[in-house]
Amino acid sequence: MLALQLTITGLQTGALYALTAVGFSLIFGSTRIFHFAHGATFIIAAYLFYFVNVSGYGLILGIIAATAGAIIFGLLLNRFVYVPIQRDEGSFFTVFVASFGIGIVVQNVIGMVFGRGYVTVQTPLSFSVELMDGLYVSPLAWISMICAAIFFGILWCFLKYSQMGKALRALSDNPELVRVFGLNPRFISACAFTIGSILVVPAAIISGATSGLNPAMGHHVMLISLAATIVGGIGSVAGTLLAGLALGLAESLALLYVDSQWTEAVTFAILFLFIIVRPSGLLGRSSAH
Amino acid sequence: MEAYLLNLVILISIYSILGVTLNFIMGYAGIYSLAHAVFFGVGAYAGTFMAMHVNASIFVTLPVAMAAGAILSLILALPALRVRGEYFVAASLGLQVLAVTIFSEWKSVTGGIGGLIGIPPLDVAGFEVFKPSQFIFVTVGALIIILFIINRLVHSSFGRSLRAIRDSESAAAAFGKNVPLIKTISVVISSALTAVAGVLYASYLSFINVESFKLDTSVLIMAMVIIGGTGTQAGPIVGAALLLLLPSLISYLDFLPQTEIGSIQQIIYGLGMALLMIYRPGGIVGRKKQSETGKE
Repeated sequence: MLALQLTITGLQTGALYALTAVGFSLIFGSTRIFHFAHGATFIIAAYLFYFVNVSGYGLILGIIAATAGAIIFGLLLNRFVYVPIQRDEGSFFTVFVASFGIGIVVQNVIGMVFGRGYVTVQTPLSFSVELMDGLYVSPLAWISMICAAIFFGILWCFLKYSQMGKALRALSDNPELVRVFGLNPRFISACAFTIGSILVVPAAIISGATSGLNPAMGHHVMLISLAATIVGGIGSVAGTLLAGLALGLAESLALLYVDSQWTEAVTFAILFLFIIVRPSGLLGRSSAH
Repeated sequence: MEAYLLNLVILISIYSILGVTLNFIMGYAGIYSLAHAVFFGVGAYAGTFMAMHVNASIFVTLPVAMAAGAILSLILALPALRVRGEYFVAASLGLQVLAVTIFSEWKSVTGGIGGLIGIPPLDVAGFEVFKPSQFIFVTVGALIIILFIINRLVHSSFGRSLRAIRDSESAAAAFGKNVPLIKTISVVISSALTAVAGVLYASYLSFINVESFKLDTSVLIMAMVIIGGTGTQAGPIVGAALLLLLPSLISYLDFLPQTEIGSIQQIIYGLGMALLMIYRPGGIVGRKKQSETGKE
């Protein structure tokens, strides 16, 4: 029974991990921008929702505020930090350092405004219901999984059929060819940032009600996103999705054997194993070298 | 005032050692590590363990700490450096997170979250160094020796190979350089020298706990190197001095809340990193943008 309980919790965590990680993977895969501030997008969305909720404006306004905040942050960062850097040099690490710096700023500004401790979004949805003898599941678990399914369904259709989705996939294959073809790579990048930032929002909101929020959790979000991107295979959205789910499940099922403070060690072990055994990831196309 | 200045100079030289060793892999080999505080911590805990249970002589503590740092870095570097740079960033971030858990859980060696107290003073050939006025010579001396070692390495053929790898890995490989081997050696050297800073830090404070070796410290060291200037000799030292002076400078500004000094310091260097990358990627000491020095 415990195993079943942990599987469901694992799927819940995994669904949220997958959403966040796919956002990062999409941005990194198509634009080659190492968007380390993705964790900052996560905490901005989460705290905006928390703030609107605490102020008593309700769920819908909270979701709108979180989504708008995430998109605006992603687009501003792209326009005022990444585009200027890429214009004259654009080495992978210059972008990484700038992104990292912005992440530190966001973490501390949020810490100064909301305090550095944990805060939780109060909702009746987080109370667990006893489904079977000894099996407790909160409605949020189902909401996480359904949310992930809907978002990934839309994303899949978008990437497969829409003009912009095709352009995004083309950009990851060959940016020069996209330019020759008459499309504007800058506009496509902005789209990648918009979609990548939106994907963070459900995970940010639900985490606020389940595990609680803390300004420093951006680093944890990044570790998961990076691990899922690498384990899934850089450039593969489907691979990242699977890897995110698997990491959530592994963290949860590991509780059968180890104490809870070691869950991040499990993520690290899986990441390391993949780097050693299969650096191109589950569904990776390009070589890792 | 004198005690304050002595303390500041000692801390600046210890952090300069951290900056200089990180700069060695970041600036010359192009390897970006988020786990530098781990090797700092491993040095501190290993040195302390030897000093408390075996012998406090630096001829015992330093070699053991350096070996511990080197072995751990080898475990990280062997797999993670065979692949592209992003992988090392991810692997080192993972190691940093894991190490904090181990530092707080392995109570018999690290004292857990409470840390270790009563660390014996540094024993330099039978002479116990504990007064700040004496300790300052040890830390500044260590910094000069490490600077000298790294300077020699950078200007040797090994250093030229490193820079070749940083600028173009495939070109270096085509030239017959064993790229993974050279990168691994540079990480091992850097980590062993980082452990020296750990030993000095532990015996200077005579108290250590996990708080000093968290991700924030790794980030702080990286910020020091980047703001000072990656790939320059003086950059990391300028960066270390600047960022350690920052809290005391902020505390002079009365209108800022004193409880938020830590956050304000981090906001300033976070912004500094982002702005420098946009306008002056070489850092304070480094060259201006490449396009201005004749690329176009």
